[in-house]
Amino acid sequence: MSALLAVVRRTFSTLVTLWGVSVIIFIVLRLLPGNAVSAAMGVSEGLLTPGQIAALNRYYGVGQPAVQQYLSWLHALVTGNLGISLVSREAVSTLIGTALPVTLELALFSMIIGVAIGVGFGMWSALHPGRWQDDIGQAISVIGLAIPVFILGTVLVVFMSTHFHYFPSSKPFAGVLTNPWLNFQQIIFPALVLSLGIGAAILRTTRAAVLEVSSLNFARTALGKGVSRRAFVWRHLFLNALTAVTTMSGIQLGYLLGGTVIIEQIFILPGMGRLLITSISNRDFPVVQSTVLIFAAGFVIVNMLVDLCYTLIDPRTRKQ
Amino acid sequence: MIIDTAATPPLKLEDLELVTRHRGWVGAVWRSRNGRIGMIVVALVVVAGILGLAGVTPYGPAAQDPNAVLKGVSLSHLFGTDQFGRDVFSGAMQGLGVSLEIAALSVLIAGVIGSLGGIIAGFLGKWTSAVIMRATDMLFAIPTVLFALAIVTALGPSIVDSSIAIGVGWAPIFVRVVRSPVLAMRESDFVKAGRVLGYSRWRLLFHHILPNVTGVIAVQTSLALAWAILAEASLSFLGLGPPPPIASLGEMVSNSSSLASIAWWTLAGPSLVIVVAVIGFNFLGDGLRDASDPRTRTR
Repeated sequence: MSALLAVVRRTFSTLVTLWGVSVIIFIVLRLLPGNAVSAAMGVSEGLLTPGQIAALNRYYGVGQPAVQQYLSWLHALVTGNLGISLVSREAVSTLIGTALPVTLELALFSMIIGVAIGVGFGMWSALHPGRWQDDIGQAISVIGLAIPVFILGTVLVVFMSTHFHYFPSSKPFAGVLTNPWLNFQQIIFPALVLSLGIGAAILRTTRAAVLEVSSLNFARTALGKGVSRRAFVWRHLFLNALTAVTTMSGIQLGYLLGGTVIIEQIFILPGMGRLLITSISNRDFPVVQSTVLIFAAGFVIVNMLVDLCYTLIDPRTRKQ
Repeated sequence: MIIDTAATPPLKLEDLELVTRHRGWVGAVWRSRNGRIGMIVVALVVVAGILGLAGVTPYGPAAQDPNAVLKGVSLSHLFGTDQFGRDVFSGAMQGLGVSLEIAALSVLIAGVIGSLGGIIAGFLGKWTSAVIMRATDMLFAIPTVLFALAIVTALGPSIVDSSIAIGVGWAPIFVRVVRSPVLAMRESDFVKAGRVLGYSRWRLLFHHILPNVTGVIAVQTSLALAWAILAEASLSFLGLGPPPPIASLGEMVSNSSSLASIAWWTLAGPSLVIVVAVIGFNFLGDGLRDASDPRTRTR
C-alpha cells in the first residue's frame, strides 16, 4: 500500500515538474525579447494557407495577454495538439512521430553499451585497485569525460570514410523493421560514440561505489566466512553498488539527450536532434518548442522510473 | 579549510596537519598530484587564451597565405595551415580566448545565481527552500545543452547570449551542490552560537556560512568552467556560436570535417586545444576538492 502511495506521489511530482518545464519553455521562447513566434510567423506568411495562419494565431493566442497565450498553449498540449510546422506545413506531431523512434533507438543502444562499458570496467578497476587494470579504467574514464561527443564523432566519421569508405549520408535511414541489418549499421557507430561518455561516468561511479562497499565490515565478514569469490563480487559488492550506478545512469540520460542532438547532426540520422537543429535554423518555432518539451518530458519520466526502481533494487527503501 | 558539519567524521592527525600547515589555497592545491597538473595546464591555457584575445598570435588568425595552403605540422606552423593558408594554431588561440571569455561569463552567471539560491534554500525556511528546489528541479529537467539551444534560439547567437544560455543551464547544479553543506551547517554549533548571540540572519549567512562553503563553490566553479568550454564548443559546432568573424573552436572542428581526410591537423589542432583545456579545469577541480576536503584526498 505504501509502495502504491509512493508511486502516486512520485507521479504527481513528475507532473508538477513537467508543468514547470512548460512554463520555462514558454518564458524562454515566447516572452524573451524578439518573440520568436511573431518573427517566425512573419517569415512564413507566404508559405502557409490563410486557414493555417488563422489556426496558428489561435494556437499561439497572438495578440492576447501572456497568461492567456500560455493557457491556450497548455490547453492545446493537453489535448495532444502540438501545432503546425511553419516550413513543412505538416502537423508537428507527425514530424515528431517519425523522428522520435530514431532517437529512442539511438538512446537505447548507447545506454546499453554505456552501462556495459561502465559497469564492466568499473568493477574490473575496483577489484584491482592501483594495478594495471585500474589504470585502464582510469584511462577510459579520462578519455570519455574529456573528449566531447562532437570531436569523437567527427574523428570517427573521418577515419571511417578514409579507411573503410563509410559515409553516413550514403544511404537514407532504414527503419528497424524494414531493413534491420542496414539500420544496425547506421545506428551502431553513433551509439558507440555516445556511449563512451556515459560509460566513463558510470565507470567512475561503479568504481567508487564498489570500493566503498568493499571497505565495509560486512564485506570482510563475507570473505571471512568463506563466500566464493564470484558470489562475493556479484551478490555482496555489485548489488550494493547498484543504487549509485542506477542514479548515475538516470543522470547520464540528460547528457545522452543533449548528445543525440550533436551526434545525429554528424551521422545524419533523422531523429529528434536533427529535427530540432533544422527547425532552429529555419526559425520553425512550433517544432522547436515541442521538441524541447518532448526531450524534457523523456528525461523527467525516465528519472521518475529510476526513482521507482530503487524500491526494487534496495530493500531498505521499502520499509517506510 | 574544513567544512564543519555535524556529519564530518573525526579527523585523523595527518588531516589536521594538512589543515593547519597549508600555505593558502595555492599550496594546498599544489599538494595533490591532479591539482598540480591542473594548475599548470590551466595557467598555460589561460595565458594562451588571453594572448589570443589580445591578438598576440604567431600569425593573424584570419590572415590568408596563398603560398602556405594545407601545410602540415612544422615549427613555423605548429598546427599546420588550412585550405586558405591560415595558421591553425593562431586561429585556435583566438578561439580559445573566446571560449574562455564565454566560459568565464557563463560560470559567473551560474555561480552567482546558483550559489545564492543554494545558500538561501539551505538556510531559510521550509517554504523558500521548497520553492527554490522545485524551480531547480524544473530547470534541471531540461538537458543543459537543449536549454542552451532554446535560449540561443530566442536571443540569437552572440558572446553574451551564449554565456547566458550556458550559465542559466548550469545554475541548478550550483544550487544543489551548495545547498547540502549549508543545510548541515545550519544545525552546527557555531551557527547555533551565533544565533544565541543574536546575530541577524544575513550576518549569519554571509559572515559565518558563506566563508565555509567557498571550498565547495571553488570546486564547482572549476568543473563548471570545464563544462562551459565543452558546451560553448558544442553550440558553435552546431553553428549556433557567436557569428563570424569571431573565431571559435567548435566551428573550426566542424569546418575541418570535410578537410581532415587530407589534412588531419585541421581537425587535430582545435580538438587538442579543447580537450587540454577541459582536462586542465577538471584536474584543477579535483585538486581544489582535495585541498578543501582532506577526506577525499587522492594520494
